[in-house]
Amino acid sequence: MRNFLQVMVDAVALGSLLALVALAIGLVFGVMRLINFAQGDYITIGAYALVVPTASLTPALLIGALPVPLMVAGIMLVVILLALATERAAFRPLRDSDPATLLISSFAVSYFLQHLVMLIHTGRPKSVGIGQALTTPIDILGLRVPGIQVVTMAVTAALLIALVLFLKRTPMGIQMRAAAENFQMARLLGVPANRVIAVAFVISGVLGAVVSLLLIVQTGTLSLRMGLMPVIFAFFATVIGGMGSLTGAALGGFLVGVASVLLQSFLPEGLRPFRDAFLFGLVIIILLVRPKGLIVIGAARERV
Amino acid sequence: MNRTKSPTRFALAASASLAAMAVAVPAAADDPIRIGFAIAQSGWMAAYDAEPFRGAVMRIDQINAEGGLLGRQIEYRVMDTRTDQQLAATVGQQMVAEGVDLLVVSCDYDMGAPAALAASAAGIMNISLCAGDPKMGLQGVGPFTFTANNSGQTEGIAMAEYATREMGIETVYILEDLLIEYHRSAVAGFRAAWLQDRDEATILGRDTFMNDDPSIASQITRLRNLDPQPEAIYMCSVLPGGGSAIRQIRAAGLDMPILGCTAMVDNFWLDAVPDLADFWVPGFFSLYGDDPREEIHEFLAAFEERFDEMPGSSYVINGYSMIEAYELAVTRAESTDAPAVAAAMQGFTDEQFLAGPSTYTDQLHILLDRPYLMMTVRDGSFRAVEISRPELIPDMQLLFRVGQ
Repeated sequence: MRNFLQVMVDAVALGSLLALVALAIGLVFGVMRLINFAQGDYITIGAYALVVPTASLTPALLIGALPVPLMVAGIMLVVILLALATERAAFRPLRDSDPATLLISSFAVSYFLQHLVMLIHTGRPKSVGIGQALTTPIDILGLRVPGIQVVTMAVTAALLIALVLFLKRTPMGIQMRAAAENFQMARLLGVPANRVIAVAFVISGVLGAVVSLLLIVQTGTLSLRMGLMPVIFAFFATVIGGMGSLTGAALGGFLVGVASVLLQSFLPEGLRPFRDAFLFGLVIIILLVRPKGLIVIGAARERV
Repeated sequence: MNRTKSPTRFALAASASLAAMAVAVPAAADDPIRIGFAIAQSGWMAAYDAEPFRGAVMRIDQINAEGGLLGRQIEYRVMDTRTDQQLAATVGQQMVAEGVDLLVVSCDYDMGAPAALAASAAGIMNISLCAGDPKMGLQGVGPFTFTANNSGQTEGIAMAEYATREMGIETVYILEDLLIEYHRSAVAGFRAAWLQDRDEATILGRDTFMNDDPSIASQITRLRNLDPQPEAIYMCSVLPGGGSAIRQIRAAGLDMPILGCTAMVDNFWLDAVPDLADFWVPGFFSLYGDDPREEIHEFLAAFEERFDEMPGSSYVINGYSMIEAYELAVTRAESTDAPAVAAAMQGFTDEQFLAGPSTYTDQLHILLDRPYLMMTVRDGSFRAVEISRPELIPDMQLLFRVGQ
C-alpha cells in the first residue's frame, strides 16, 4: 500500500510537470493553430538564464543568485520576452499560412535557439545548484516525498486554478476562448487578434519559466536538450487530450506522465528499457479509439 | 551494383594509393615525423577530445625539445571532425592523402572509427585518444589501430574489486543508464568482477533509466522499497542524466555509497549535488593537488606553464601517454612504418607511462589493467584515495559482450 501511494505521488508529480508543458502548447495551438516546438527551448533558455552566459564549464550564477522571488520573476521575464520575440519575428508573419508551414517554422525557431545556446554556452552540460532546500524529503503520512515533488504538484494546481479563473472571469480570457473556438468569427466580432495571440504567448512563457525552474531544482543540470523530452511528451499529450482543448491538454499531460511512471514501476525488468515504446503504443490505442482525442471541442468537429 | 564505383570507395582507394606512394618514398633522416589529429574540436565530442589533444601536444613539444624522435622533429596538424561521422571519414582520408605517419582519432569508437578506417586502409598507424571499446583495434578496424585507454569493462571491474576489497560492501543495486554502449560495457565488467566469488543474490536489484528522463522517481521508489537496503548503488552514467540522477537519489534520502564510472570524474558537475559525499569513481589522476604520484605534480606544473591554465579534465593524461606509447614503439621499431610500429606496440608489457603501466597484445589493442586512482567526493571536491589495479582480466566474451 505504502509502495503504491509512493508510486502514485511520483506519477502525479511527473504528470503535473507535463500538464504544464502541454497546457502551454495547447494554449498557443488553440489561438493560432501552431504546434510550438520551440516551447522546449523556452524551457532550456529559462534554465540557462540562471547562470552567466559564458563558455566556462562552471559558470557563476546570474539570475539564479537573486533572492527567490526576484529569481522567479527574472526567469519569467526572460522567457516571456523570448516567447514574444519568437511570436513577433517568426510566427506573426506566417499567421495566415497553413498549420504545416507554422509547424516547420517552429522547428526552425527551435533549432535556431538551440544553436544560439550552444554558441554562447558550448554544447557541454553544466550544473547549477539552486533550490537545495526543496530537495530534502518531507514526511507525509509515512511517505518520504522529495520536497520538489510536493512543490511541483502545488504549483501546478495553483497555476491551473489561476488559468481557469483567467479564462472564465476576465474579458481577455473570454476573448481568448472565443478565438480558440473560431478565430475568424471572433475577429469579425471585434476580438483583437494580435493582443489575444500575444497574451497566449505570454502565458506559454510563464508556464515555460515555471517548468524550467521546477526541472532545475529537480535535476540540478543544464543541457541543450533538457526541454526536448518534456515537449515531445507534452505534444503527444495535447494530441490525445484533443487538439485545441485546454482541459484536454492538461488531462493528456497528466495521463502521459502518470502512464510513464506506472510503466516504469510495474513493467518487468527486461521490458523496462522499452518503456517509451509501450507509452507511445498506448497513445496510438487511445487515438484509434478516440481519433479526435479525449475531449473534442466544437471547432474540431466536422461541419456537414 | 558492381558496374558503378561508389564515390566514397573511389575516394578511399585513390587516397589509399596516394598514401601508399607517399609511404613508398623512403623518408630522409631529417624529414619530420608527421602526426595528424582527426578529432572533434566542436560538437559534444569536443568535450572528450580537447583535453587529451592538449596532453598529446604537450608530449610532442617535450620530444621536440629533447631532440626529436629517431632524431626527427615531430610536426602535427589538427582538423575538426565536428562530432560528425561522415566528416570524420573525410578528414581522415584527407590527412592520409596529405601523408601522415600517425593518425590520431576521437575518444570514442563510433566517432573515431571512420577516420581510423581511412588510415588503416592506407596502411598507416592510428590510435584513438581514449576509446573504451575493444572494437577500436584489430577486430573492429585493423591491425594498425590501437586505443590509449582501458576498456569500459575494466572500469566496472576496478570499481567492483575496490568496493569488495577496501569498502567491505556485500550487497549492491545496479542502476544502468541506457544512453550509450559504454555504460553496458562497464556494467558487464562490474557484474563479472562482483560475481567472481558471490552469488547473484548479492545483487539486490537492477534497474535502467534514460539519460534524458527529467525524473527517475519510479526507479528511486523501487530502490527504496527494497528490504534490506543495498549497501551500495552501482550507477554508470554520464552528464547530464548522471548528475541529475545522483541529485534525485540523494534528495530521496538515500545516502549509501554510490559507485560510478570514470566519465563522472572531475569537479565541474558537482554544483548539481552541493553536499555530495560517498560517491566513488575509478579516475585517471587528481587535478586537485592530492595525487599520490610525484610525476603527476610535475606534469601538472609543466602543463600550466605550457597552456597558462590547469587542464579542464583528467582525460588529458590519455593524450599525453598515447604519444608516450607511440614514442616508445617508434624508438623500439627504429622506424615509423606501421607494421613495425604496431609490432613493437603489441609487445608492450607493463611499459611505464605517466598514466600508468600499459600492456597490449597481438590480440588486443586496448588496455585491460592499467591502474586507476580511486577517488571519492568530499567537501565539494573529488579527493584521491589510492591507486588500485584491476585484477580480473576480461576475456574475449566479456570484452565483446558475446552471449551476455
